[in-house]
Amino acid sequence: MFNVEKIERLAALRLKGEEKESITKDLEEILNYFNILKEVNTEDVEPLVYTEEIKLFLRKDEIKEGLPIKEAEKNRELFGDNFFKVKKIVRE
Amino acid sequence: MEITELTVKEIVEKIKKKEIGVKETVLAYLKNIEDKDNNIKAFLSINNEEALIKAEELDKENEKNGQIFGIPVAIKDNINVYGTETTAGSKILKGYISPYDATVVKKIKEQNGIVIGKTNCDEFAMGSSTENSAFFNTKNPINTYYVPGGSSGGSAASVAANETAAAFGSDTGGSIREPAGFCGIVGLKPTYGRVSRYGLIAFGSSLDVIGPLAKNVEDAAILTNVIAGFDRKDETTANLPVENYTDFLKRGVKGKKLGVIKEINDFKIQDEVSITLKEAINKLEVQGCEIEEVSIPHLKYALPTYYLIAPSEASSNLSRFDGVRYGLEGIGDNLRDFYEDTRTKGFGREVKRRILIGTFALSEGYFDEYYLKASKVRRLIAMDFEKVFEKVDALILPTTATTAFKFNEKKNPLEMYMSDIFTMPMNLAGIPAISIPFGKDNKGLPIGIQIAGKWFEEGEIFQISYALEQLKES
Amino acid sequence: MYKPTIGLEIHVQLMTKTKIFCSCSTEFASEPNTHVCPVCIGLPGALPVLNEKAVKYGVKLGIALNAYINKFSSFYRKNYFYPDLPKGYQITQYIIPIAKGGYLEVGGSGAQKKKIRIERAHIEEDSGKSIHAGNITESEFSFIDFNRSGIPLMEIVTLPDIETPDEAYDFLILLRSIIRYIGVSTGDMEKGAMRCDVNISVSKDETMGTKVEIKNLNSFRSVKRALEYEIERQVSALKKGERIVQETRHFDEKEDTTKPMRTKEELNDYRYFPEPDLPPLVLSDEFIENIKNTIPELPNTKEERYIKEFEISSDYARTIAYNPKLAEYFENIVKYVGIKRAKAVANFIMLDISAYLNETKKEIDKIDFTKEKFKELLDLIDNKTISRNTAKEVINESLRTGKTPSEIVSKKGRTQITDETSIKEFVIDVLKENDAQVNQYLSGKTKVMAYLTGQVMKKSKGKANPEIINKVLYNELENLKK
Repeated sequence: MFNVEKIERLAALRLKGEEKESITKDLEEILNYFNILKEVNTEDVEPLVYTEEIKLFLRKDEIKEGLPIKEAEKNRELFGDNFFKVKKIVRE
Repeated sequence: MEITELTVKEIVEKIKKKEIGVKETVLAYLKNIEDKDNNIKAFLSINNEEALIKAEELDKENEKNGQIFGIPVAIKDNINVYGTETTAGSKILKGYISPYDATVVKKIKEQNGIVIGKTNCDEFAMGSSTENSAFFNTKNPINTYYVPGGSSGGSAASVAANETAAAFGSDTGGSIREPAGFCGIVGLKPTYGRVSRYGLIAFGSSLDVIGPLAKNVEDAAILTNVIAGFDRKDETTANLPVENYTDFLKRGVKGKKLGVIKEINDFKIQDEVSITLKEAINKLEVQGCEIEEVSIPHLKYALPTYYLIAPSEASSNLSRFDGVRYGLEGIGDNLRDFYEDTRTKGFGREVKRRILIGTFALSEGYFDEYYLKASKVRRLIAMDFEKVFEKVDALILPTTATTAFKFNEKKNPLEMYMSDIFTMPMNLAGIPAISIPFGKDNKGLPIGIQIAGKWFEEGEIFQISYALEQLKES
Repeated sequence: MYKPTIGLEIHVQLMTKTKIFCSCSTEFASEPNTHVCPVCIGLPGALPVLNEKAVKYGVKLGIALNAYINKFSSFYRKNYFYPDLPKGYQITQYIIPIAKGGYLEVGGSGAQKKKIRIERAHIEEDSGKSIHAGNITESEFSFIDFNRSGIPLMEIVTLPDIETPDEAYDFLILLRSIIRYIGVSTGDMEKGAMRCDVNISVSKDETMGTKVEIKNLNSFRSVKRALEYEIERQVSALKKGERIVQETRHFDEKEDTTKPMRTKEELNDYRYFPEPDLPPLVLSDEFIENIKNTIPELPNTKEERYIKEFEISSDYARTIAYNPKLAEYFENIVKYVGIKRAKAVANFIMLDISAYLNETKKEIDKIDFTKEKFKELLDLIDNKTISRNTAKEVINESLRTGKTPSEIVSKKGRTQITDETSIKEFVIDVLKENDAQVNQYLSGKTKVMAYLTGQVMKKSKGKANPEIINKVLYNELENLKK
């Protein structure tokens, strides 16, 4: 049932060796355990994502100062004219 | 009495009366950290220089304003404190320096609290023992062979060991209450939406809440006053007024209706825990509480529901850790390889497990059966609580089914997940809950009793737990 | 006969001051990564806060598209990895968009118009920009600028009602005009404020052909050209018995062709789920009504009205109506000089004024040909002081020098010659000089009148009134017959 490779690719992970075996086994056990939810009758039940008391607040369109460049640079060296640099995007 | 044995309330009073100084206080706690933390290992980083500079500044002030003026606080390392290393207990964020303050940190600073250090936690708050930290284990100060609980294990241990006056952590499935219970201190999970999450590294966005860990209920109430409230930076905070929680403390429990959930008996509970719960209930009854048996019919489905929803949200929240803008940089000839290397190297095993579960639960063909189904069961659980609160004011139950366990004892993930059975239903429903220490087992390990209440009624919880706290045998 | 089926997916950048989920400026910044903050750069712990203006612009555009505005809509996460997507997911709308349904009418006027239906329109955030050293398949590195990350977009998806590249082109032209009228975006495709992907299939019968997606279209012309090429390619392939591959292609500007895009690495499983950080968007009737009241007369309605009320040609009506500034100018003039003269006004705008604007690269609201000047000009023509030809010279000079038409006319003695005596002199001279044509006329070839009229006009240096030339010329020629 559980195609680990497909899920790995979606999650940008690449497990190997013992870790892969162990995690795959764990996942199968855990997913089996989740089957207990099938017992519950959820016909006509709306999913719960949001709390009623919390309402969306609409922010006014006013500019506020953001992150100065030197803050971003604390964590990553910026290249050329302040760009973030990444390796080539397409695989050979 | 040593300064470090005093409560937040007592220290603030003494400082404001000029009986003790802020620097004196901070130095006392720093000394404790120096003496104990090589063993306890509650802290990932200690802010000594800045803390002392701030302490000196505060000592110079004539007007000593602030509910926590001069109080050293420890902050869980998944909360952004400007200029500090913020790792969330993970290798993938080792070296990451926060460029901004979380809203709660801003509020702490506004009330003149002093951040003394960042505490250890399970990686990305995923765990119940702090054993999932990428860096090291934290020990339970009560007995160092035992885990402090998790994921806010460092915060709980630091308070229990008097390394700090107070601490803050986050609770997604029990991560404040469970370690508070294991370490014999007080821990509160406020209502979802009561406290801003801006600056908290997200794990389960619809479940995460920041809350205080403290030596007693009064301190917890003071700390909650500091952090609670609507935040324009967090759309999931409620625009509701914040009460003064310390006002509720001494009102007593006469006439309060307390519910005991009958379904907790479906689970195996350590004998001493059951006995202690009964004791607590009896003592409250004597004080005038009415005890009623109530039912949460879907209680047994809370665990699988939680362990589908939290990892699903986490799998998405953790996608931003790709090595491009911050954090660990992997190696790769091309971008894909780079991503995979960064993340496979940077995340620990439990995090990888949960990312994979979550990715699976949201994936095409499985979404309805897993994520959506769990969301629907979540609604049923919340409705169970709604019905219960029509009859009672609050619920009383154990924080955990057992006291603290030893390191490496829970090897199986599902076994570890069971530590949360009595805490995570409150996260699913969003209701507030507090754990207070009430008794010990025959090994001397603390037992935590939990009081859970209605949405946005933290006052009620403080009222009842304060009363219970006074009934403890010293 | 192979019939194409075309659908469009258009992204419009909304012209708010700040981004959709944070207060960073959306203004174009020459320096990369200078309009960023924890939210739009995906720092851990950051949370989105929705921009009210973005919602208002989204609702406004939805109403202008004749769509139904959902009073309740929600946000979802679309999960995938790409360096210009800092959170690893895009916050968008999925199950319930802010606008549902709607249509635009393209093509001729009145009954000829064709309805292109819109399936849905929703608001979402833009990603950052990747700049590849070299081209995307060959470069060693790419550079990411997050200034664009978080700018609000409205995504508009049409139903596959479009049947020709021209219809697609017309749809986009109209859409851009509407966007400019309601002021929610510049609609500048060249600057990326409007982007368009197309879906196209061809089929001989009722069955649907295989859908091909085309991306990387940088102008309306590219859209039209890409569709034309793609129809040719697909039809030709099908005629040979080949199957069309369902794929994504990109348009090659240099060669005017479409080419297959390298197959995407990403599996297209976006794992959509409700965005837990944003509660649902709930709009009141009042909110929607207030926005509706700010929508001006839209270009297609204007176009119809111009044709009906002012009796100007559909070409002229469309061009003026589709340009908000031009339309405003036109309507102001007409209001002042009177509806009867609308046609003349339109002519001057479309010919002389447009030529001037093109030449000087000015905008219509920057020129000084006021309604008073326009009236003067039209009066001078109507009372025959100057001919139409002369009027052209006058308006051109006025545009360039700023002088009023009366000043120009009186100064240069450009008064039209209207007295018959003077004109008769010219006519007699012309008839003397053009024996051959006179004889042609006398032998029945009356068409040569036009030539002779022209000659009189030339002789009078364009000043003689043409009607009077005709009258006098005709009389003289008839006299010769006797």
